[in-house]
Parts: sequence; structure tokens; C-alpha cells
Amino acid sequence: MSDTTLPTFRTATEEAPLLRAALIGIAVAGLAVLVFAPLAVVFAEALKDGWLAAVESLGNRDARSAIHLTLLITAIAVPANAAFGIAAAWFITKFDFRGKAFLITLIDLPFSVSPVVAGLCIVLLFGANSALGGWLIAHGWPIVFAIPGIVLATIFVTFPFVARELIPVMIEQGRAEEEAALTLGASGWRTFWTVTLPNIRWALLYGTLLCTARAMGEFGAVAVVSGKIRGQTATMPITIEMLYNEYLSVAAFSMAALLTALALVTLCLKTLLELRHADQLAAIRRH
Amino acid sequence: MTARPLVHKTAMPGLGLSAGITLAMLSIVVLLPIGALLMKGASFGLSNVLEVVGRERVMASLILSFKLALLAALFNLVFGVLLAWVLVRYRFPGKRLLDAAVDLPFALPTAVAGIALTALYAPNGTFGSLAVQLGVKIAYTQAGIFIALVFVGLPFVTRTVQPVIEEIDREVEEASATLGASRLYTLRHVILPMLTPAALTGFALALARAVGEYGSVIFIAGNIPLRTEIAPLLIVIQLEEFNYDAAAAIGIAMLVISFAMLLAINLIQIVSRRKMGHV
Repeated sequence: MSDTTLPTFRTATEEAPLLRAALIGIAVAGLAVLVFAPLAVVFAEALKDGWLAAVESLGNRDARSAIHLTLLITAIAVPANAAFGIAAAWFITKFDFRGKAFLITLIDLPFSVSPVVAGLCIVLLFGANSALGGWLIAHGWPIVFAIPGIVLATIFVTFPFVARELIPVMIEQGRAEEEAALTLGASGWRTFWTVTLPNIRWALLYGTLLCTARAMGEFGAVAVVSGKIRGQTATMPITIEMLYNEYLSVAAFSMAALLTALALVTLCLKTLLELRHADQLAAIRRH
Repeated sequence: MTARPLVHKTAMPGLGLSAGITLAMLSIVVLLPIGALLMKGASFGLSNVLEVVGRERVMASLILSFKLALLAALFNLVFGVLLAWVLVRYRFPGKRLLDAAVDLPFALPTAVAGIALTALYAPNGTFGSLAVQLGVKIAYTQAGIFIALVFVGLPFVTRTVQPVIEEIDREVEEASATLGASRLYTLRHVILPMLTPAALTGFALALARAVGEYGSVIFIAGNIPLRTEIAPLLIVIQLEEFNYDAAAAIGIAMLVISFAMLLAINLIQIVSRRKMGHV
């Protein structure tokens, strides 16, 4: 098609070229300032004294212990949430019961609770001052200022992630396929593994991915329950805060860069999933 | 008339197991801890809770948190709708990268965002030094908190509005144009009403997130009592001083106010859905 004979043709459902250029300009400039600049500054600050200084700062004992702890917490919290998400989605979509909407509201509740308030709640329930916390400590099971508390806080803030992604997908798929499998004599577990799971696997992966990103980076709730004991209960985000407050800028930003790199990997995987399995994930966006 | 059964009988297996896991985890992780907070408030007494919330420093921090969260969510409402429109309707180089970048605030840990924004907007930072030349201070003022809250709330409106724009039937716009409406008139009176319910949902999510935000704010805020001290930080300070009662009082105030706001926005949404028809 040649444009030379039709210099300013545009359809009635398009904006004027000037307006369009202005809108694109605002969008690009806004994201450049709000998103790309902070991203760039993390790596720039980490590499201010060269690669060697950055890598070295990640090699000391406290840094390594923080990385281990974050990986451990994530490795416990994410599968726990995935199991909860599957169970909750199964319960909500395969059965009809009273109070379903209320249950969904309760599952979404952690989204509207400040992470700091979440941490506070856990301290009040399991801390040394409470009856339950005192009993647990007397029996050698401290929760607050120890790893179980960090795990609980992390599960709290990521609680709805997997369930929220699975429920709309399982509603759209209905119950007919499972009913057919059961009619043909398959056991409940076999039906789940061979019929349900293949149908929801991409949505499950998607939810797990979002959950992982948040679990690795959770700060507010963990800051309250961890006690910030160096080498013991200091996760990567907590360590970033401690290093930053001690004016160890390169070390703080190096650890931040490591977490950022993990976040970027998550984003890439997520984008890939959205491109490859748009059909299954479309159900999530429709609801 | 017989009462409706609690659970309808079906042939589906796993009722006990799935209900058991769901309710047990919900109780242990969410309900019991929140219950512990409310119990603490009850044993402290309503008048004492109100006394703590009424203290000048606490009141100032609560007002600050909600005021700036509201401003940031409003900014994100406008910018988010614009961004969603540009990402769905226009074609330009780098669009896919831009689309993926919208989710970065979800994926980036808040502590990382906090120190990165501080490095940018501090008086010796890239943007901060520019602002200083203009005589404006951003980091360690309320402007800095606003920027951090805009960052964490950025994806919500765009991600709720995008799918709605994708599903808009072009014929509606054509009809409007055929009937003589200008493009701007169509955008304002045809398109915008269709986006309102989704945009409000995104706004509510961004607001809820910003009100309780801690990690990205405390680095850039400067944390000066009465001026740039946010409510979640005050809870942390009370906990560090082992003032569990005061911490619980502020926590309850935050819970109550954020639920009230969510309730209000849900009502607005129901009204706007009714007014605009099903979208």
C-alpha cells in the first residue's frame, strides 16, 4: 500500500497522530523514570567499585548465610502455598457450599493487610509474651525470632497467590472431565493427577512464580518477626537493610542486584508463560 | 421448608481433605494471628486503643500514610489507564519490553526498590541533584514517599484495565464516530465509562497496597516524627520498645481504616457497574 497519494488518511476509530505520539511519549517517559531508572541504578551502584568488589561482598559468611536462609524460606513457603492453593481451589470449585464467597474473601484478606501488621499479628500469637508462644518456647519450639516465624510471615503475605490463579481456571474448566474419569472407575487421586493437574499446570506454575518472587523479597513482615539476628535470622532483604544502614553501599547494592537478577528471571519466565499458554492464563485475566 | 444443606452432596472425591487443608491453613496462618491482634486490642481496652491512636505522633503517621497512599493511587489510576490504552491500542518499537516492565514493581523486592529510589532521588543522586538545582528536595520528604508508593502501586490499574480494553468491540467506537462524535468525545463518553469498574478495582488494589507499604518507603522517607513517619514504621518502633499494646492499637487502627476504604470502594464499584451496565 502506498501512502504517497493519501497523506493524512486515518480511520474514525483512531486518535490524531499528534495525540497518539504524545500518549506513547508519556507512557515511555513514565516507565523510564519510574521503572527502568531504579533498575539501572541497582546495578550501577553495585558495580561502582568494579565486579570484584561486588562479588567479594557476596562471599562473606553473613552474606552466604542470608542467601541460604532466603532460599530455605522460599523452599518451604512456596510448596506450602502451592499445596494450599490446590486444596482451596479444589474445595471451592468442585463443591457447592454455603459461605463460598466469604471463604474467598478470607483467602484474599492478606492482600489488604499491611505486611508489618501481618508480622505484628504473628508476634502477638506466637511471641514469648503470649500463652501459646510461651508454651511453645518451653517445649523447645520458638517461633518468633526464629525460622518458623519467618516461614509463617512469608506464607501469610503470599497466601492468596496460587489459589487466586487456580480458582478462575478451574471454574472455566468445570467438573465434567473429572466426573467422566470417576465414572470410568478412576480413583480420586488418579483423577487429580491425570485429569485435573494437566489442565491447570500452567496456571499453577504462573501462581507459583508470582509467589516465589514475593517470598524471596518479603521485607516488612519478616523484619518484624525475624529479630534480625545476623547469620541466623537475617534474610537477603533484611541483610540489604542492615548493610545499607551501615553505609556499606556496594555490599547492600550487590545483594540487591542478586535479588533483582532473580526478579528479572521470574519476569522473563512469566512473560514466556503468558506468550506460550495464553489460552489457559486468559481465564485468570477475565475474572 | 427444609434448611439449605451446608454442603451439597456430589460424587467428587476429596471433600474432607481439601476442606481440611484449606481451613486448617487459613486458620493457622491468617485467622488466628489476626484474632490474636484483635484479642490484644480487646484486653488493652477500647478507650486505651483510642488514646494511643489519638496521640499526636500516631495520628500524624496514620494521616500521612493514608493521604499519600490516596495521592499515589490517584496518580496510578490516571497513568495506569493511559499506559493500558497505549499498550493495547498502539504499535511501536519496544512495546513488548514496556509491557513486561509494568510488572517489575511486583517482582522487585520492596527493600531493593527502597534503596534504589533513595539512591536516585537523594540530593546527590541522578534525579535528586536535578531537583536540587530547581530548589526541590525529594528524598527524605513526603514527595519521596509519594514516589515510592507510586512505584509499588504501578502495575495494578494497568493490569486490571488491559484485558477490558482488549475486549472492547470496535463497532461501538465506529457507531459513535458514524453518529458524528469526535474521537475525544468517543473516548470520554463511550470508552472511559466501560473502563471505570476495572480501573476502580485496580485503584482499590493499589490503594490497599500503598497504605500498608513499608519496605520501599522507610529508606526514602527520612522518618522524621510528625512529618515523614509512616504508620507501619511506628508499629515497628513500638515493637522494638516492647510496647505490644501500643503496637496492637496502631495495627488495629490500620486494619479498620483499610477495611473501611476497601468496603467504600467496593460499594462505589457496585454502583458504577450498575450505572454502566455489565462490563
